[in-house]
Amino acid sequence: MIKREYIRSVLNVFAESPFRPLHMHAEKGGDAVRKLSESVEAYCEGDMTRVEILSREIDIIEHEADVIKQTIRSQLKSSIMLPVNANDLLDFLKPQDAIPDDAQDVAYWLTLRQCELPDVIRNGLLELMSKTAETVEMYETLIDKLSELLETSFSKKEVKQTLAIVPQVEELEHEVDIIETNLTKVIFKHEDILGGAGVYHLTELVKAIGDIADKSEHAADRMRTMILRR
Amino acid sequence: MDFFDPMVIALVIAGLYMAWNIGANDLANAMGTSVGSGAMSIKQVIIIAAIFEFAGAVLFGEKVTSTIAKGIVPIDAIEIIDPHIVALGMLAAILAAGFWITFATFYNLPVSTSHSIVGAVLGFGLVLAYNNTIAMADINWTVLAKIVASWLISPLLGAIFAYLLFMLIKHFILQQTDKPYHIEKKFVSLQILTACYIAFAHGSNDVANAVGPLSAGMNALGVIDTGIPIWVLAIGGVGMVIGLMTWGYRVIETIGTKITELTPTRGFAAQFATASVVLVHSYSSLPISTTHTLVGSVIGVGLAGGLAAVDLSVIGKIIMSWIITVPVAALTSALILTGLMGIGI
Repeated sequence: MIKREYIRSVLNVFAESPFRPLHMHAEKGGDAVRKLSESVEAYCEGDMTRVEILSREIDIIEHEADVIKQTIRSQLKSSIMLPVNANDLLDFLKPQDAIPDDAQDVAYWLTLRQCELPDVIRNGLLELMSKTAETVEMYETLIDKLSELLETSFSKKEVKQTLAIVPQVEELEHEVDIIETNLTKVIFKHEDILGGAGVYHLTELVKAIGDIADKSEHAADRMRTMILRR
Repeated sequence: MDFFDPMVIALVIAGLYMAWNIGANDLANAMGTSVGSGAMSIKQVIIIAAIFEFAGAVLFGEKVTSTIAKGIVPIDAIEIIDPHIVALGMLAAILAAGFWITFATFYNLPVSTSHSIVGAVLGFGLVLAYNNTIAMADINWTVLAKIVASWLISPLLGAIFAYLLFMLIKHFILQQTDKPYHIEKKFVSLQILTACYIAFAHGSNDVANAVGPLSAGMNALGVIDTGIPIWVLAIGGVGMVIGLMTWGYRVIETIGTKITELTPTRGFAAQFATASVVLVHSYSSLPISTTHTLVGSVIGVGLAGGLAAVDLSVIGKIIMSWIITVPVAALTSALILTGLMGIGI
C-alpha cells in the first residue's frame, strides 16, 4: 500500500536531476580504469592472483555503473525538461558507459594468459596504460566542469573553459594511438619469442586498452555537441 | 445579533477548517521553496510565514474576500428575500470546498482551494436559480469568466515573469562571476525578503477562500454589517497560521528536503515572480491559486535554463484539476445545501 500523506505540493514539478548520477557514472568509469592500471602493473610483474582479484573488483564497478546508467535512462521520461537536449545527453551517456565496459573486458582478457614479457613490450604496455588512464582522468575533469556549468546556467565563460578541455582529451587520445601503433609493431617483431598465441593475446590487449581512450574521446566529443546544441 | 447562534458557531468552525487546510498545504508550499534552497531553517520560515500571512490577510485580504462573498452570487439581493438561506448556503459552500480539498490532499491531487471555493459558491447560486429565488442571469457570469480566465493567466504570468527574472540574474550576475557559490550565498538574504513577500501575497489572496463565505454568512445573520471587519479576516489569518504550525511544517520539511535543485537564485526568481503575480491578483480582487502560479514560475526558471530537470507532466494534472474542481465543488455544495434544507435546518 502506498503511504498517503496529507500533502498537496509543488513537488511534482521537480524532476530528479540526471546530471548528478551522470557524474557518478563517469567516476565509476575512472575507478574501473584506475583498477585496470593496477591490474596491468600486476600483470607485468607476473602477479596473476592480483590480476584475478582486480578483475573481480572491476566487474563490481562495471555493474554499479550499469545500474546508474539504467537509473538515468528510466528517469528521462518525455515530459522531463532539461537545460540540454535529452537525446544528446543519452548519446553521450553511451560512450561514457563503454569506458567501464571496456575496462572490464581488458581486465578479464589479462586473466586469460600469463606471459613472460620482453622489457621493451612491458615498458610499452605500462606506458600505453598510463597514457590511457591520463586520458580518462582528463575526461573526468571535463565531467566535473559540467556541474559548474549547470550552476552558472551555462555562462559563456564557463562554456569556453569547459570546451577547452575537449581538445586536451583528443590530444591525449592521439598520443595513445601513437603508442598503440608502435607497440603493435614491436610485438610482431618479437613473434619468435612470444609465439602465435602470445602475439594474438598481446595485440588484442593493446587494441582493447586503446579502445578505452577512444571511448573517452568519443564521450568528450558528444558532450561538446550536447553543450553547443542546448 | 447573536454570537452564540449555532449557525454562527458552525460557520466559524467551517471557516477555520478551511483556513487550516490552506495553512497546512498551500501556505506550506509557498514557503517550502525557501527551505528547499537552504535560505532559512524551518523555524525561521514558520515565524516569517505566520507574521506575514496574517498581515497579508488582515491588511490586504478584503478585496478578494468581497469577490467570493458577493461578486459571484448576488448575496445582498438574496439576503433581502431570505437571509437564512444565505447563511446555510455559505456553510454548505465552505463544507463542500473543504471536503473536496481534504479528498484531493489525500490523493495528492494539485487542486486549488481558490478554485474549490469559487465552484462551491457557484453551486449555491445555481441551487437558488433552480429554486427560482434568483434568475440564472442574476449570477454574475462576467465576474466568473474573469476569475476563470485569471486561473489560466496567473501561472502563465508566473512563468513569464520568473523566466525574465532568472534571465536577468543569469545574464547580469551569474555569468559575470567566477564563483557562483558566493552569488548563491548573497541571494540567501534576498530570499528572506521574498519569503516575507510571498507569505504576505498568499495571505492577501487565500484568506478569502475561508473568510469570503464566512463573512457573507455572518452578514446575513446580522452579526456583521456590510463590509468585512478586520476581526473576520483575523479568524482566517489565525486558522491559516494554526494550519501551518500543526501540519504545514511537515509539508515544508518534505518539500525542503526534496527540492535541492532550487538554489537561492532560482528560488528567489520563482518566489518573487509568484508573490508579485498573486499580489496583483489580490489587488484586482481575483481569487487565484498560489500553488499553480508557483508551479508556473518554477517552469519559467526551468525554461530559462535554471533547473537541472523539470517534469512538465504536472501541467496536464493541473489542467485536469481545473476542469474537475468547479463542477465537483458546485455539485457537492448544492447537495449539502439541499440536504440541510431537507432536514429542516
